[in-house]
Amino acid sequence: MKHVVRRLVVLALVLGFTASARAQDPRSAESSEYLIKAGYIFNFARLVEWPATGAPKGQPIVIGVLGNDSFATVLGRVVDGKKIDDRPFLVKRLKNKEFKDCGCQILFVAAAESARTDEIIQLQHTAPVLTIAEAPDFARRGGMIALVLEDSKVRFIVNVDAATQAGLSVSSRLLTLATVVHTAR
Amino acid sequence: MTVFTKSLTRAVGAVLIGAALSVSVAAQDFPDVTAISLEDLMNLKVTSVSKREQKLGVAAAAIFAITQEDIRRSGARNIPEALRLAPGLEVARIDENKWAIASRGFNGRFTNKLLVLIDGRSVYTPLFSGVYWNVQDVLLEDVERIEVIRGPGATLWGANAVNGVINIITKGSAATQGGLVSAQVGNALLGSGGVRYGGKLGANVTYRAYSKYFKWDSSTDHGGQDAFDGWDTGRVGFRLDAGSPSADTLTLQGDVYRGEYGETLTGVTLSAPYATTFRNDGRFSGGNLLGRWSHSFDRSNTSLQVYFDRANNAATSLLDDRLNIFDVDFQHDVRVGATHNWIWGVGYRSANDHATAGTYVRLSPDERTWRLFSTFTQNEFTLFNERLRLTLGSKLEHNDFTGFEAEPNGRALWNISPTQSVWGAVSRAVRTPARTEQDMRLDALVLPPSVETGGLPVRVSVHGDRNFNSEDLLAYESGYRVNLGRALSVDVAAFYNSYTDLLSAEPAAPSVDFSRESVHLVAPLVAANKMSGATYGSELFAEWRPAPVFKLSGAYTFLRMDIHRDADSLDASSPDPEGASPRHQFSVRSAVDLPKNLEQDVTWRYVGALDGLMIPGYYSLDAHLGWSPTARLNLSIGGQNLTNNQHLEFRPDFIATTPTVMKRTFQVSARWTF
Repeated sequence: MKHVVRRLVVLALVLGFTASARAQDPRSAESSEYLIKAGYIFNFARLVEWPATGAPKGQPIVIGVLGNDSFATVLGRVVDGKKIDDRPFLVKRLKNKEFKDCGCQILFVAAAESARTDEIIQLQHTAPVLTIAEAPDFARRGGMIALVLEDSKVRFIVNVDAATQAGLSVSSRLLTLATVVHTAR
Repeated sequence: MTVFTKSLTRAVGAVLIGAALSVSVAAQDFPDVTAISLEDLMNLKVTSVSKREQKLGVAAAAIFAITQEDIRRSGARNIPEALRLAPGLEVARIDENKWAIASRGFNGRFTNKLLVLIDGRSVYTPLFSGVYWNVQDVLLEDVERIEVIRGPGATLWGANAVNGVINIITKGSAATQGGLVSAQVGNALLGSGGVRYGGKLGANVTYRAYSKYFKWDSSTDHGGQDAFDGWDTGRVGFRLDAGSPSADTLTLQGDVYRGEYGETLTGVTLSAPYATTFRNDGRFSGGNLLGRWSHSFDRSNTSLQVYFDRANNAATSLLDDRLNIFDVDFQHDVRVGATHNWIWGVGYRSANDHATAGTYVRLSPDERTWRLFSTFTQNEFTLFNERLRLTLGSKLEHNDFTGFEAEPNGRALWNISPTQSVWGAVSRAVRTPARTEQDMRLDALVLPPSVETGGLPVRVSVHGDRNFNSEDLLAYESGYRVNLGRALSVDVAAFYNSYTDLLSAEPAAPSVDFSRESVHLVAPLVAANKMSGATYGSELFAEWRPAPVFKLSGAYTFLRMDIHRDADSLDASSPDPEGASPRHQFSVRSAVDLPKNLEQDVTWRYVGALDGLMIPGYYSLDAHLGWSPTARLNLSIGGQNLTNNQHLEFRPDFIATTPTVMKRTFQVSARWTF
């Protein structure tokens, strides 16, 4: 019931915003896409469990964003003040090789940095980081989650093997909604 | 909650949240997306032009998108009526089956400076350089959006994208699953029916198939006489989409159609009264098949598109024409670092045309094949943290008529703030010759005998000429877009177009013709490139949404044309094109959502006088009321020209068919999805 009330409140809030909806502005397209993707990342954070070593209790959940500072800004505002299991969020903008030791629990790789896919996958072998990327083939190649645009909607592809190998456990609720793939050999 | 209401709430929620998310990130506070479940997120649409179009860098251009909702709410009965929703376009109906549609001037039934594509397939016919609007149709419910670009788009779309480009884009078959039945009856559109069904053939394969038929009643000319311009068309088609964007996608689509139409035609005779007006008819049929394969690499995308299009147009007394077009287009889109995009492509097109002469028109030779090779490259850079976007590129084409043509452009967009941007562009575009301008003989007029003509009638014959060259445009454009607060947005564009080598009709030496039933003089008018000049104007579009249930939009279009003969031209017959385009156009639209799932729309538009065609300025008031008693059923009633302000919108410029009067029309519609 609490959930329903909360959702109604969001919908009511949202009603007030329809006034400013503008399809003609090309920038609004990006912002709606960013907001939707930020919503996904928050949900993933809730539905994935890290090993105790990878996510010390009481410390913030660190999300690294590589390759798109505008998205990092949107994401930062979306998760501002939010907590999961009493842990707040911290969004870091990453440059170049900083992702290798950013202390992140979640690493988001924007399309502009898709060329680093192999390096990111290497990283998974050494640290329990939930990797999320915009490269459509990211999960197929061994990354954990690819966020892809399909018919103007954002969908996600999950590679469970990759997550399990890194010690992360992905909830079944997430998997029922995902397109599940296995690492191509 | 029952499953049904739950899914309904979800659908409604998705729409509302989606609309809300369109708000600029700059807004001080935005919806808390963390409260939205994964299931709801999956249903949210990214309000965006697709990836491919986004990369085309058209933002630094005067662009407008007509959405499916706009089309539904306006009650548009065909594509030309839907195009009336785009600011800046001139859409004039000549008779029930003919239209004159143009952007930024030079309007006519054979408007040759506006390129039109349906799902990537050009429907601009190289036969006469223009669009047979009566032949172009889709199931309107399946249209995703119609993009209207005013100004040149030749760097990307090639020759003939001179004053504008219209892209009609239908939904992917995944978005049209299930069944749809629609029907319309009215007093002008006597009846129209459409059926569509979409399904799945596998995990990643979807399809749809549709068929459509409509019949329009004939209307009357200015004197109240029946103009015999009724017509009907039947059409069937399909679309199949396979794969997912994470790897490869394949689209295959096609249509076949057949229709018949009538008109009142005035032709020439060599004996008194030297002209004859009669009921004429025509038939058209054809089909097309298109395949598109896209592949995503790490940092790039490729797309290969191939299509075949056959169009048969048999206008009795004029021409019986069969045109086959084969087209291949490859495009590669590469990201170079975070701030640079590079797109390049190559294309090939061959056209084969076979024309059987009618009483008044002949093409010589009867059959001709011509080819087009094209390549383009375009670079897009973003600078200053994406605030400045620069686009530089050029098309290089080789066609069998005029050889090589280069069509470069440079564009810049500056995001002054998250709520306002300004852009500018300089581009060149060419309009390549049509087959008619090279090969045609048309009997345009017969002048009665006089002393000066030696007592012989004079047949004025319009001749194409193999020396006719491309028309040339250099365009300067700029624009400004702003969001004033949350509810008001304004989009302004201005242009200055400089044209050279425009089509003129130069008189050639008369001769005596003994070959027909009576001896007469022939006075040829030969196609040449001896007109030039400039046009300038601006287009303003504003949208105000004071409440979620109410939207008011307005458009104003201003156009001046200064086109003149070159010093060496002897053309005394070509009309001044300024007289065929309105100097001012206004429109106001209101869209209201009422309780009980009712939606109500009213459009008022004013079109200034067409002095050259003796058409006074006119206005028209259209209204539409839609009701959805359930999510699956929609009933609506629509009316056009409600004040019954009877008027002509255009007079044909070239082939002398009788224009007919716009009257008050009504229709009722029903649409059921399952």
